[in-house]
Amino acid sequence: SQVLVEEKSSVRILTLNRPKQLNALCFNMISRLFQLFLAYEEDPSVKLVILKGQGRAFCAGGDVPPVVNNMVQGKWRLGADFFRDQYTLNYVMATYSKAQVSILNGIVMGAGAGASIHGRFRIATENTVFAMPETALGLFPDVGASYFLSRLPGFFGEYVGLTGARLDGAEMLACGLATHFVPSSRLTALEADLCKVGTSDPSFVSTILDAYTQHPHLKQKSLYHRLDVIDRCFSRRTVEEIISALEREATQEPDDWILTTIRALKKSSPSSLKISLRSIREGRLQGVGQCLIREYKMVCHVMKGDLSKDLVEGCRAILIDKDRNPKWNPKRLEDMKDNIVDQYFERVEEEERWEDLKLSPRNNLRASKIAAKL
Amino acid sequence: MSDNRALRRAHVLANHILQSTPPSSNLSLTREVCLQYSPPELNESYGFDVKEMRKLLDGHNLVDRDWIYGLMMQSNLFNRKERGGKIFVSPDYNQTMEQQREITMKRIWYLLEHGVFKGWLTETGPEAELRKLALLEVCGIYDHSVSIKVGVHFFLWGNAVKFFGTKRHHEKWLKNTEDYVVKGCFAMTELGHGSNVRGIETVTTYDPTTEEFVINTPCESAQKYWIGGAANHATHTIVFSQLQINGTNQGVHAFIAQIRDEDGNICPNIRLADCGHKIGLNGVDNGRIWFDNLRIPRENLLNAVADVSSDGKYVSSIKDPDQRFGAFMAPLTSGRVTIASSAIYSAKVGLAIAIRYSLSRRAFSVTANGPEVLLLDYPSHQRRLLPLLAKTYAMSFAANELKMIYVKRTPETNKAIHVVSSGFKAVLTWHNMHTLQECREAVGGQGVKTENLVGQLKGEFDVQTTFEGDNNVLMQQVSKALFAEYVSCKKRNKPFKGLGLEHMNSPRPVLPTQLTSSTLRCSQFQTNVFCLRERDLLERFTSEVAQLQGRGESREFSFLLSHQLAEDLGKAFTEKAILQTILDAEAKLPAGSVKDVLGLVRSMYALISLEEDPSLLRYGYLSQDNVGDVRREVSKLCGELRPHALALVTSFGIPDSFLSPIAFNWVEANAWSPV
Repeated sequence: SQVLVEEKSSVRILTLNRPKQLNALCFNMISRLFQLFLAYEEDPSVKLVILKGQGRAFCAGGDVPPVVNNMVQGKWRLGADFFRDQYTLNYVMATYSKAQVSILNGIVMGAGAGASIHGRFRIATENTVFAMPETALGLFPDVGASYFLSRLPGFFGEYVGLTGARLDGAEMLACGLATHFVPSSRLTALEADLCKVGTSDPSFVSTILDAYTQHPHLKQKSLYHRLDVIDRCFSRRTVEEIISALEREATQEPDDWILTTIRALKKSSPSSLKISLRSIREGRLQGVGQCLIREYKMVCHVMKGDLSKDLVEGCRAILIDKDRNPKWNPKRLEDMKDNIVDQYFERVEEEERWEDLKLSPRNNLRASKIAAKL
Repeated sequence: MSDNRALRRAHVLANHILQSTPPSSNLSLTREVCLQYSPPELNESYGFDVKEMRKLLDGHNLVDRDWIYGLMMQSNLFNRKERGGKIFVSPDYNQTMEQQREITMKRIWYLLEHGVFKGWLTETGPEAELRKLALLEVCGIYDHSVSIKVGVHFFLWGNAVKFFGTKRHHEKWLKNTEDYVVKGCFAMTELGHGSNVRGIETVTTYDPTTEEFVINTPCESAQKYWIGGAANHATHTIVFSQLQINGTNQGVHAFIAQIRDEDGNICPNIRLADCGHKIGLNGVDNGRIWFDNLRIPRENLLNAVADVSSDGKYVSSIKDPDQRFGAFMAPLTSGRVTIASSAIYSAKVGLAIAIRYSLSRRAFSVTANGPEVLLLDYPSHQRRLLPLLAKTYAMSFAANELKMIYVKRTPETNKAIHVVSSGFKAVLTWHNMHTLQECREAVGGQGVKTENLVGQLKGEFDVQTTFEGDNNVLMQQVSKALFAEYVSCKKRNKPFKGLGLEHMNSPRPVLPTQLTSSTLRCSQFQTNVFCLRERDLLERFTSEVAQLQGRGESREFSFLLSHQLAEDLGKAFTEKAILQTILDAEAKLPAGSVKDVLGLVRSMYALISLEEDPSLLRYGYLSQDNVGDVRREVSKLCGELRPHALALVTSFGIPDSFLSPIAFNWVEANAWSPV
């Protein structure tokens, strides 16, 4: 099975089990998780849900190639269904009335972030590698990332979302993406302790986690030490202005990190960069539900491919041919006009039976105490 | 007994000290019987696309607005705080005046560093101007002090340099102003003269031997007063002063004077004093200025309209002193434009908070043991808030239209802009004050808590009815301008053109005697009533003034005596102009739910304006029965707008963080916290 289920008294441990694919979330896994999460919410005997991954990844992303296949074959609506289900799962997690503990002992990217960050507790370890690499793939940080990235300190979210920068466990904890840091050697003991939880009150879970958590030092070269530069540059109004602000910084005090950052931005899809920045900026002012509804509109435009086919090209260059040399269209940032960007945020018109993402209202009164503190 | 009480008290105190939480079993028990907050979104649905509506209301630069909202949210300078699981940004109004002034300045530095003011004086054209206006509006939604302090620097000091000055001034000051290398203020008002600028007493003479102007404050009533920026931060000021050349007074002119050096030390021959603590806007350092024979170079006269040659000759392209004064004042309309739109955003904040609260707060049951009723389900509560909501919508379109005619201004449109901006500024700022008071009362005791904003905003925005032209004076200007237009058309026997008076060329509209619901909601009927009222009042006003003049009174004195009609006419003109803007906005929309709901809103605006105006009965435009019909229709419209209330305030597009805790989970926001 692609999702393993263990029942330990009031606790359910779910393990993503596609280790060869680094636990990339496929359609079936999403459906299964959705089913399980809803069932556990109804079941009064379940107090806590633990989510983890088999092997060296928690979850390295969504299973994109089949979706891109749909897109190429003109069946974009099938691909859109994949995102619809995934975002609905993200929403359930974000408004969940019971505590979710995600153990991020390995790679966490894209869809993996969506399946964990919205939950109440996120445990990072020394093995954690976090990234939102979508702009290099011709997509944009989705799965509710416009909600959680925009709520990181200052303009760190813009930085993480646009550059696809990799964060380690200490950095995740520092910026708030992780709530705790536990060395991987202690995870087994932690899990055992968590299985003794007999209440949904997050303060009890918190007490257990606090006993295991450590406060790791940021490594000397950590990008988190560059927060002042990140704030100065990534707060700018447009992607172009962000890049020129970085270039100004680079001329004043050239260093590897700034140059790498500029290079990452210049290598990413111009369309992706622009819609990602807009998405994070709008997301900062919206609730998680509104964010997912908007991201669904955006992803449908991406899938439909009318405005750009960068996702197909990015997938080819990064995942299939692996030449890492995508040919983006439009090629330059200045060719990606505002009126095109605007269209990603509009309804998908003239499409039969296309509907906005429907999220059923959830009375998250109790959830507001439980929801991810970002 | 008393032992028990002491014991209990000791226990409570011990709990406080130990910060222990009550036992959780009790907690869940009490929760069952306790009131629970239910977010309005759970029970209300959106009958139209709120995003489309926001586009209409904000009108322009939505991405720029969202950007600066985010800039403020992401910085600790903007006093982020968590209440009930949500982040709010709002100034700490409990700080001292000095602290508020310093933090306001720091916030402006932050916005400057992040490029918010880029191009504010060095870029031109409607696009750049609209962007600037949008960003300023958001500053004002955060805090009126920020927008006023920014406004004084850019729109008063900066625009004076730009419009009254010439190339030499532009080169020297504009870029430096944009970068805050200089901090400007604007010294026009004096202790003894406010609206009557032509009466100011500051005197400037010219000394040809040194080629300098000498500025002097001849008496205490001539001290400059309320000068924003003068008390703490400004380095330079525009000085408005009478210009005496060889014993002849050439009237009011504008000069540039430095008042502080780079280190903030007050310059010689300048005396500065504080205006002190105010009922609001304490983040703005209003001060007073005296000039003791201050000498400034000849080049510091802002000489777009008139100049003094090095040997002391006065030269001006405009010979008539009245026209010259008019030319001076024309560029100052920008202040009225920004005030009008900022007043409407303040009303939006108040209404969004009060309506959201009224969709989550209950009071009294209608049936025994029945559930308590949601505030907004009381018809009386609807009647208090929903007409104000409709007016805010209509005036939002009016403010947008005013901005549009302002940014596209030409010399030909100056007069119209003057009249329309005067009327809109007065009516919109009065509306804001009424709205805030009603919202304050509508949320009950919560409204007096500063953090809930509605009460605080009253103090913060009150001054809008006075500065940049006292509202009553502005409304007199409107009726005077209409008078002049009427007289000139009649005298030359020419048709009316401009100021929306074209309807005067057609026959007087005849209103039906029976007013059905569909008649009352018909845009043609509504337009007809508003036109009829304006036309009739204009005719009455002009004939009354003519009669008085016939009895030998001067024109000016006749105006004063006819103040009641003048007031009615000014209001009739402005309300009709506002109605026209929402009708125009509606007409541009394709058929659909947004258009439908806007139609309801427009009818509410039209009918509530009629209901509230006694002149309709006084002058017999409507019968007693008609007025009863109007009143009933207002009540019906309240019921029809009720389901849209949440969507209508959501469409204001003001992010949650810029509202206040009572707009959201006010139970959790007030929950016991050991900290």
